[in-house]
Amino acid sequence: MENVKAGRVTDREKTRMFMGKYGIGVVLLFMMIGISIIEPAFRSGSNMINVATQVSINAMISYGMCLAITTEGIDLSVGAQLALVSCTIGQLITNSGWNVWSACIVALLVATVWGFINGFLVSKFNMFPFVVTLSTQLIIRGFAQVISGGQSIPVTNSTFKQIYSAKAGILPVPIILLIVVTVVMYLLLHWTKYGRYVFAVGDNMQAAIASGVNVFKVKTIAYTISGLLAGIAGIIFTAKTGSAQSNIGVGYETDAVAACVLGGTSFAGGITTIPGVLMGIFIIGFIYNGMNLIGIDSYYQSMTKGIVIILAVLLDMVMNKKNT
Amino acid sequence: MRKKWMAAALCMVMAAALAGCGTQKEESKEAKNGADINGDGKVVVGCLAKNLVDPFQVVLNSAVEEGVEALMEEGIVDEWTGILDAESDAGKQVDRASECISKQCDIVIMLPAETTASDPALTSMADAGIKVLMLNAKTDSTDEVAASYSGSDDVEAGEKLAQYVIEQVPEGGKYAHCLGVVGNSAQIARGEGIENVMGEHPEFECIGEFPCEWAADKAANVATDMLNKYGKELKAIICDNDDMSSAAQQVCNNAGRDDIICIGVDGSQTAMAMIKEGSLKGTILQDGKAQVEQSVDVIRKMAEGEEYDKEILVPFVTITKENVDDYYEEK
Repeated sequence: MENVKAGRVTDREKTRMFMGKYGIGVVLLFMMIGISIIEPAFRSGSNMINVATQVSINAMISYGMCLAITTEGIDLSVGAQLALVSCTIGQLITNSGWNVWSACIVALLVATVWGFINGFLVSKFNMFPFVVTLSTQLIIRGFAQVISGGQSIPVTNSTFKQIYSAKAGILPVPIILLIVVTVVMYLLLHWTKYGRYVFAVGDNMQAAIASGVNVFKVKTIAYTISGLLAGIAGIIFTAKTGSAQSNIGVGYETDAVAACVLGGTSFAGGITTIPGVLMGIFIIGFIYNGMNLIGIDSYYQSMTKGIVIILAVLLDMVMNKKNT
Repeated sequence: MRKKWMAAALCMVMAAALAGCGTQKEESKEAKNGADINGDGKVVVGCLAKNLVDPFQVVLNSAVEEGVEALMEEGIVDEWTGILDAESDAGKQVDRASECISKQCDIVIMLPAETTASDPALTSMADAGIKVLMLNAKTDSTDEVAASYSGSDDVEAGEKLAQYVIEQVPEGGKYAHCLGVVGNSAQIARGEGIENVMGEHPEFECIGEFPCEWAADKAANVATDMLNKYGKELKAIICDNDDMSSAAQQVCNNAGRDDIICIGVDGSQTAMAMIKEGSLKGTILQDGKAQVEQSVDVIRKMAEGEEYDKEILVPFVTITKENVDDYYEEK
């Protein structure tokens, strides 16, 4: 008898834990159903592929952002990174006639190095990540403007444009990249020693130091990965528009932070899940896509976005509170 | 228990949603007009805006809204997407275009965010069989794949700038030219137009072309410097836009030289108000409303199966005190 009762309790607890962890998924599901009912065009397969392709850019940035936030930081330089990567590619492919792949590798290297610089400044000198990335953001965008001369460089190379438009079966390349990066990030954060260190550093840095975690290394790697991912986002963006410009990516960090927060990433550090962030990314994507398909006046869209984020996070917190 | 209950509830909702998928669209309606490009029995119009914040874009957007709503009242258009904002971001404009495709739009009116970077938005919609009406500006492949283009030719604006100055100062003299952002297509075309006319009038001498990046304060500095340097010899300051011309005129007026002709392009609210009160003599209005009317008219012609023009150029209008009331309402 006693055992049965205990069994029941764990069952209920499991449900609560499930809701606490993936309550945001329920929000996502209800949102999808709601929009589908109002606007049938929403649930077409082609629209779902559209949304997944659209969110791929924000997804790359968000995964980097969630690493930074989980180590009690933030990476505001990602939007500018997009611009720098774009201009680097434009300069190399269009103006210098480089091969597409070597140009992409160099561009990714540039972004990664900037990510490393962010991480180095944050962890070596213990500077506030907000201040560091706010400043490097200006420097990075400055570089982009210098490289491009402030003008847009058309990137007409068709191989390069294929990065956005080519399809494997029905899936365009950005979705494949999204899947690969999601899996890699999931494994990195939830299955490796490095992942556990990230949580340890974010949760309680002193304790992490005391347990012999190399905080410098953990944080630097986090920002370096964020840089690399912003680089991938920049390549997708440039392939999408076929044009390299220094004015792109302004404000993109906002959507990334929003996706992280929706996905249950805590600003206090130490808490995040990759599936959660992925769902946050899709919620943001569905908000845009759904409102446009339903035909909500653009003037009200950013308001709606703000309200949905607050409500979703609130709901998530209420559910989490019940668990504890 | 609770888990099972929830699972059951979710299953039911999902089943309901799936059942919704099964219901067929009404296809009984016959293709009622020529604007039903994809033949699904209803005409859906999409509107891609550049942004919702630039004053001139706001004029265009509200004219588009008015025009499409009129078409809906006339029964030509069944549905429209509302104004889809690209936030001046070409990447977002490409996303909005893919939403127009999902929504099975027949016709899309597009105000491009960028010349090159917004081009994929146009080409992807054209590939999907949508008739795209480009408005106000072109993207790279507009001439090849857009159904129609309605806009104005900036070379003409430049020519009108110069002509106005020649009319006002028939004896000729020295003039300065304040440039927009160098390399911008409007800046290049307007400069070309000024050159076309002034080249045939040797009595005018250009004392310099000053890069002012469309900015009022920079044009005001140019006006101050040129007044100091050339004094009475300075007859006119030609500006690539109204922000610059109204600022330059202000400087001249304050220096007691309201005889200097400052003129720019746009027909901005400030310029119009100054013309009305007499402190600025004229502007070259880019008639955004007329551009939109032309695009809306193309939809009407499509519906009736009539021929329409692939390129419609709306003339610029020279605004002076005489006709300012026809184009400007005080707010």
